[in-house]
Amino acid sequence: MFLEIKDLSVKIENKNILNGLNLNINKGEVHAIMGPNGCGKSTLANVLAGKEDYEILNGKINFKDNDLFDLNIEERAQEGMFLAFQYPVEIPGVNITPFLHSAINSKRKRMNEEEIDNLSFAKLLKSKASDLGINIDMLKRSVNTGFSGGEKKRYEILQMSILNPDLAILDETDSGLDIDALKIVTEGVNRLKTKNNAFLIITHYQKLLDYIKPDHVHVMVNGSIVKSGGPEIAAEIEKDGFQKFQ
Amino acid sequence: MNIQDNYQKNKKNIFFSDNKDIQIHREKLINIFETDRFDRKNNESLKNINLKKFIEFKYKYLVPEETSVINNNQDNSYSIVSVNGQCSSFKDDKIEITKILYEDYNDFSKNNTIEKNDHFVNLNSLFLNSGFKIVIKKNNNIKIKISNIVTDDNLTIFQKNNYICEEGSSLSLIEEYENKNNSTSNILNVINLENNSKLNHFLIQDNSSNHNLIITSHSSCKKDSTYTQKVYNFSEGYVRNFHYSELIEINSEADLQGIFFLKDNNTSNNKTFVKHLAEDCKSNQVYKGILNDRAKATYFSNTYVDQVAQKTEGYQLSKGILLSDNASYFSKPELKIYADDVKCSHGSTIGPIDENAIYYLRSRGMSKIAATKILISSFINEELSSINDDLMSETIQKKLVRYLSKVK
Repeated sequence: MFLEIKDLSVKIENKNILNGLNLNINKGEVHAIMGPNGCGKSTLANVLAGKEDYEILNGKINFKDNDLFDLNIEERAQEGMFLAFQYPVEIPGVNITPFLHSAINSKRKRMNEEEIDNLSFAKLLKSKASDLGINIDMLKRSVNTGFSGGEKKRYEILQMSILNPDLAILDETDSGLDIDALKIVTEGVNRLKTKNNAFLIITHYQKLLDYIKPDHVHVMVNGSIVKSGGPEIAAEIEKDGFQKFQ
Repeated sequence: MNIQDNYQKNKKNIFFSDNKDIQIHREKLINIFETDRFDRKNNESLKNINLKKFIEFKYKYLVPEETSVINNNQDNSYSIVSVNGQCSSFKDDKIEITKILYEDYNDFSKNNTIEKNDHFVNLNSLFLNSGFKIVIKKNNNIKIKISNIVTDDNLTIFQKNNYICEEGSSLSLIEEYENKNNSTSNILNVINLENNSKLNHFLIQDNSSNHNLIITSHSSCKKDSTYTQKVYNFSEGYVRNFHYSELIEINSEADLQGIFFLKDNNTSNNKTFVKHLAEDCKSNQVYKGILNDRAKATYFSNTYVDQVAQKTEGYQLSKGILLSDNASYFSKPELKIYADDVKCSHGSTIGPIDENAIYYLRSRGMSKIAATKILISSFINEELSSINDDLMSETIQKKLVRYLSKVK
């Protein structure tokens, strides 16, 4: 199993958020998690990425034969996990290009691969930015600083395409995107799909799933997966909402 | 030894001690020390310091054997080595350097911007044993680099310098303080900018932990003149930066900026004070601090706008990053506005490094320590990228790298 989440319970500040959650993802699969506000979707994304604010009460997560809880945030990223943030953080003064260059090389170092030099990285960045319709001038700016909501999401996907993760978690990447931006972003995601990687897409709406076809759709309510199935579940939710699952 | 005895014992080695007027002034200063209650709560010069250490000091001064001024005619630049606060006399068609004169002392004692109870300034006036005066002649554009060297352990340098930028002149002044001995330098810079003159003043402070640096400046700006001061404090020893500016004529500007990098048990006290005394003047006071371990800092900023100073623009900003739970930074911005057509603001934000930003960077594969260092660098990126002298930029970067290497 590529990613195996077993009976995961998590709390933050004395509030239980995830309650015995189970989820299995194989290589080459696209999974979507849908659920109402506050059901724990973003918590799951952050627990997978390693955010340290949460208390793990119970459960186990295996990722590529590693016990995920043995790895810290950066080790998970270097092992190929990527979280596209719902609210990407603005970091004034940290320039995008050297930051991404440093990020890709930290991953290569862990994989015992040769570091990518400045020139090759610049070419790679330019090409990926062009695929996503990102202006080259934007790459001279500070991380997420002064970006519109749509630009931030597009920039998250740029980072993802540069880092080429094994497991990409997209936390409400569709929020704040207009229809044109949504198409560009989802095309970017689709380009990255291979039989060797996997995607976990968190969303409220079916719209995103019209562009990125999921193999499995899960409904999450009160910190647990209450129903799993194929894309038809997304259509069901679009039609009837989450009420009947609660 | 008390101040009175200390002064009497050493007055032969103190500047102007045979001058009657100065003697009267100094008696008043001694009286302040003997009667002051040393109110730590309300006296900003007393925050976070071991006053006893600075008042009950053992006076020691050595007249330097050699000082130098090198004139590089090719790019209008001058290199000065000031030793124990003294500098050789020098004169050409662009600048004139002399010892400070009785008049320079007297002029400053009448100024009322610096508080009467700033004990370090009073000590400077009382035990004055060194200093120089530099005049930049009319319409010249020059660059001066001053290396301030203290030669021996246990020296007490009380230095007063006077800089005069004549009409239409422009000066880029870089002062370096990099002393490794167990001494104390108490320096007062008095700066006068005549009409349409400009002074860019950089102070690079990087003393060892046993060296104390108390530096005070008072700049006075006439019509269309601009004073810009940038302080980079990497010292491991105590540093006090108190800088005052008066905008006395129309359309003058003062920009007082500072960055300090503290660690271990080090302390730094900082203050900027701009008085707007004429119309259409601008000021900016920005200090940023990074504090690790058990380091402590204070920053007091103050903008005073006189009732005649309409169309004033005065901004203050203080920012601090605390890298340790045991570090502390006290910041107090103040505005006193007596004119009605002004744009003024002040702000202060102090806190630990942004955990969300750390998380974001780590989620891309950066280690926690690398993420912390990159965020510290970004915190002062604006100040560092505005340095347009390549050599100085490289010097500051190296010192920053050294500081960051100790951040765990």
